[in-house]
Amino acid sequence: MSLLIQCPLCGKRNGYEFRYGGEDKGAYPEARELSAARWYDYVHGSACTEGVVREWWCHRLGCGTWFTIYRDTRVNRQVQEPRESARQGTGRT
Amino acid sequence: MTSRRSILPEKNPPLQTVYDAVLIGGGLHNLATAWFLAREHGMKSVAVLERNFVGYGGAGRNTAIVRANQRTAENVPLYKEALELWPVLTRELDFNLMFYNCGNMNLLHSEAAVKAARTNVATARFLGVESRILDRKETARRLPALNMSDAITHPVHGAMFHPPGGIVRHDAVVWGLARGALRQGVHIHQRTEALGIEVKNGEVTGVKTNAGTIRTPRVLVSAGGYTAGLVHRLTGLKLPVSVLTIQAMVTQPLKPVFRHVVSSGAYHVYANQTLKGEIATGAHMDPWPNTTIRTSAGYIKHQAEALVELFPCLAGVKFMRSWAGLADMTPDMAPIMDGNLPADGFYINCGWGYFGFKSSTAAGRYMARYLAENRCPDRLAPFALNRFESHRLMGETAAPVLYTPDN
Repeated sequence: MSLLIQCPLCGKRNGYEFRYGGEDKGAYPEARELSAARWYDYVHGSACTEGVVREWWCHRLGCGTWFTIYRDTRVNRQVQEPRESARQGTGRT
Repeated sequence: MTSRRSILPEKNPPLQTVYDAVLIGGGLHNLATAWFLAREHGMKSVAVLERNFVGYGGAGRNTAIVRANQRTAENVPLYKEALELWPVLTRELDFNLMFYNCGNMNLLHSEAAVKAARTNVATARFLGVESRILDRKETARRLPALNMSDAITHPVHGAMFHPPGGIVRHDAVVWGLARGALRQGVHIHQRTEALGIEVKNGEVTGVKTNAGTIRTPRVLVSAGGYTAGLVHRLTGLKLPVSVLTIQAMVTQPLKPVFRHVVSSGAYHVYANQTLKGEIATGAHMDPWPNTTIRTSAGYIKHQAEALVELFPCLAGVKFMRSWAGLADMTPDMAPIMDGNLPADGFYINCGWGYFGFKSSTAAGRYMARYLAENRCPDRLAPFALNRFESHRLMGETAAPVLYTPDN
């Protein structure tokens, strides 16, 4: 399963140097008045979009940086940030 | 010989404007649900919607292994019932499903693994499932081709043996259930995609498809690896699922090499010899979600190395085909079977990961009961989605290697 990922510090590297960190679900939820449903959504809930998804990655075997990229899950390629109008289900709530 | 074409007509039946139930996904779980809805509950006005063709997804891509030696007391009985259904369905469907109960051997490569297997065996026996530990000598006797040398990467200490498991011809199950459902009057609509769910006053009233709109009070989504994305598109509900591509391959046909399904967690490989003589093998999952269902050269190499180390006589044997399918992994390696969420009449059956084939018939039967009676069968209660919200995950992860990329 080939995949090249653009690390913001190290440049384009082999995908196996990275750890997948899940869909980008926005900021860590506020602890105050946090409902079980909201916490579930943040911890477990995934949109599982067939298409372009904004997601977290960590350059585990490199610089260790956490960052987000856009990837098309249908073809397993990193892609440019889609224009707002074209974007569908980025995993954000 | 019955050809596949003669089972499912080329042309879809006319899409009715009303059905008692609409099942989205034309795989084994929904075909089984449709069969049992008609057979055991008399609900015959049922539509099965399939985006591609019946058997396109996991139904035709799994490696056909069946067993009931899972880890927890909630899961084992479900798989036990599924295992017991193969001979029953062979008779009721009047279709040879080629159930071959050759037994499963989980190779154990350390004292710690033997100890873990003892717990598994105890659970299985307590629940009436035959399972036992084999020592080195007995393991070698049952698998003469197995490398018992101490000089390999993971020397074999013994095995966990589960005699009632084995393999079932997965295509035969698809054809048998599809034909059975058709004969009961179920409508199977291929190349028909669900585009939206209609809800009024918190109740499901219909499904929009590319072939027209259907009015129905019951919708079940059970589309294997495609379920979570589909449920989110249709309802906005997010499921605790990671969709990963899992790969498999078969060798050229050989004379009998081993007579059991063999698996090894340490080597990360499982293999069985099909009735045609091919060795079907797999286990690798991509480490990040994708729906490519593509295979990779690196894994074919790993697979060959692992198999040859365990079975040196396989050196030089060629792989004939490789393929991949989708597995929808949950954080606790247990499925989600739930109903009436987020709207009344909306049902979900997914999260089977790579256990979807071996469970299909029992899960279909219980989901049929759930839909027909609109009351969750006791057996399914532990599999409700809200277990994740209330932090009551199941203990299945204690058995195999943990595969979700989120952990």
